[in-house]
Amino acid sequence: MKKRYLSILLAGLMACSAFLSGCGAEEASDDGPIIIGHQSSTTGTGAKWGQAEVKAIDMYVEKLNAEGGINGRQVEVIHYDNKSDQAEAVNVCKRLISDGAIAMIGPSQSGNAIACSSICEEEQIPLITTTGTSELLTVPEGSDEALQYIFRVCFIDPYQGSVAATFAHDDLSCVKAAILTDVGSDYSTFLGKYFHDTFTELGGEVVAEESFRSEELEYKAQLAKIKELDPDVLYLPTTHTQGALAMKQARELGMDCVFIGCDNWPTEELFEIAGTAAEGAYIINSASLADPILADFVEEYREKYNEDPVMPNPAFAVDAIMLLEDAITEVGTDPTAIADWLENAKDVEVLTGVFTNDPATHNPIGKNAVIEQVNGTEFEYVTTVAASVSDAE
Amino acid sequence: MELSLLFQTLITGLAIGGIYSLMAVGYSLVFSILNFSNFAYGGVIMLASFAGYYAMTLLGANVFVALIISMAAMAVVSLATERVAYSPLRKRNAPPMFFMISAMGLSIFIENLVYATIGAHFYAYPIIFEETTINIFGAALGKMDLFAIVFSIIAIAIMNYFINKTRTGIAIRAASYDSTVATLNGVNLSVVIGLVFVIAGAFAGISGMFLGIKYMAYPNMGWITNKAYIAAVIGGLGSLPGAIYGGVILGIVEAFVSVYITSTYRDVFSFAILIIILLIRPAGLFGKYLEEKV
Repeated sequence: MKKRYLSILLAGLMACSAFLSGCGAEEASDDGPIIIGHQSSTTGTGAKWGQAEVKAIDMYVEKLNAEGGINGRQVEVIHYDNKSDQAEAVNVCKRLISDGAIAMIGPSQSGNAIACSSICEEEQIPLITTTGTSELLTVPEGSDEALQYIFRVCFIDPYQGSVAATFAHDDLSCVKAAILTDVGSDYSTFLGKYFHDTFTELGGEVVAEESFRSEELEYKAQLAKIKELDPDVLYLPTTHTQGALAMKQARELGMDCVFIGCDNWPTEELFEIAGTAAEGAYIINSASLADPILADFVEEYREKYNEDPVMPNPAFAVDAIMLLEDAITEVGTDPTAIADWLENAKDVEVLTGVFTNDPATHNPIGKNAVIEQVNGTEFEYVTTVAASVSDAE
Repeated sequence: MELSLLFQTLITGLAIGGIYSLMAVGYSLVFSILNFSNFAYGGVIMLASFAGYYAMTLLGANVFVALIISMAAMAVVSLATERVAYSPLRKRNAPPMFFMISAMGLSIFIENLVYATIGAHFYAYPIIFEETTINIFGAALGKMDLFAIVFSIIAIAIMNYFINKTRTGIAIRAASYDSTVATLNGVNLSVVIGLVFVIAGAFAGISGMFLGIKYMAYPNMGWITNKAYIAAVIGGLGSLPGAIYGGVILGIVEAFVSVYITSTYRDVFSFAILIIILLIRPAGLFGKYLEEKV
């Protein structure tokens, strides 16, 4: 009840601020807080990640406000739960706008974010998704330019394939690569395709591209064929169970190549199923707990909440709020000005590194990916790389 | 080099084909006597993989003891499925279609029961043999695969002896030819059918556990039995030698298509071959009664 009262008041203040900025009195500080909307699934299937986003944002904003807020104004982030549901995401999105949010963080799931994108475009409110990786979110089907108000801080799926190829070629000095993909999964086939393209562009040779059907558990026939061609690296953009079984079967066949997996892999079941076959395998991930760049953040989070942040969402949520902080500091609270600022954002420092927006696609350019390596039953941080090919699409 | 790949492909095909065969035997046994496709069998095989897993992890049993526990447990489960889901239908002389639908319902029930109680996790068996493989002419043969093939052959040989040489076995065969005449000759049909489900359950106990060891145990692994069912159709539903050959043929065809034609279109090619086999021999390779086909 109190919150609603407050938000009406705040909406009023927002109107005043809009009026003031319209008068060119940008720096004339307004005492009311700046409202930023955040929606995530704090219940439902994505609850673990959604709750971590809320905690990370609160932690950041608390500090920000203690240091005086933005341009002397406090920041208030309103969190709503979208229950991992598209209809709910749309409702929540509308509610945040009526609450007076000048920008929005989330939803983290592509489908929910796509559902909200048309509302944000129409209402001219910038939206930054934390982990919505679908290409269609920023550049809708049939369109060849990016939506004006929709942005993302994560890399898109296929980019991972390019990162894997760059890492294999440049860091591991692999010359011959093989790819095993799940023919029933777009995610898997796209990652494989981008790996192939980047690896070939870098001068490497893809000696084998084999695939299997989603439910299949037996890959020995394909692996035996790959083994004959003696690759240095086998790229497995698969689920963690498929990857684990493929590694196990490859080692059983006596293959000694390096394995590279994807961001589906980091779960304990990988070790349980693959056993020692997973040892030394590399994983391309978007954020890692062990990444030195996140060390302070992870420590602070652990101290405050007594648990590990569930990666990668909280890190990306902080990236998003940091971008908004910089945008508002520079151009004030006009949503369209914020969107313009985001569109032209270049080398902006955020939690996970630097952020540069590609105006054509609204995907981050040269976004860092984290490489982890399996050591016993741990994922060890190895390095941070950006794909050498400027952008996947 | 080329020869070792050929040999490796053959071994891979045999290893998976052997498991298809075991499962196909379970389908064929039930079909031979009740003339319906027992689609709940996949659920029983999935339960077997969990029975073996828990026998080894919770009870600390070794692989042989776990196999026996799994076989015994699945014999009981399989008998229970017959008594609960099929026996009442049989007493009312329901047509085979009703049995099949009852079986499908049971299959969904078992799968969801496991989802609700054990959960959707993947369970990996403890390591049984060190991951060392045996090298034959440059091809790697997993020790577990070899063990599975040998154990399966022994199990099938025992069953074959039982069906062909013992009085009870003769009663089963008689009932599968003509249950009415068998009954008139003093065969207790209810006992014979129960026995068939017990044997099929024991075979599910073996194949489910081998699948669990080879891959992992998880609630919807029952889908793999679709392949076994197809293998049974190739061999001729109701025919035991047919089930065995059908399984091996399917496994080898799949492996060879993957290696020598295309892995992306593997199922398209291998199932086209199966359709051709059925066009030439509609009753399957060893089937006798065309009209019994579903």
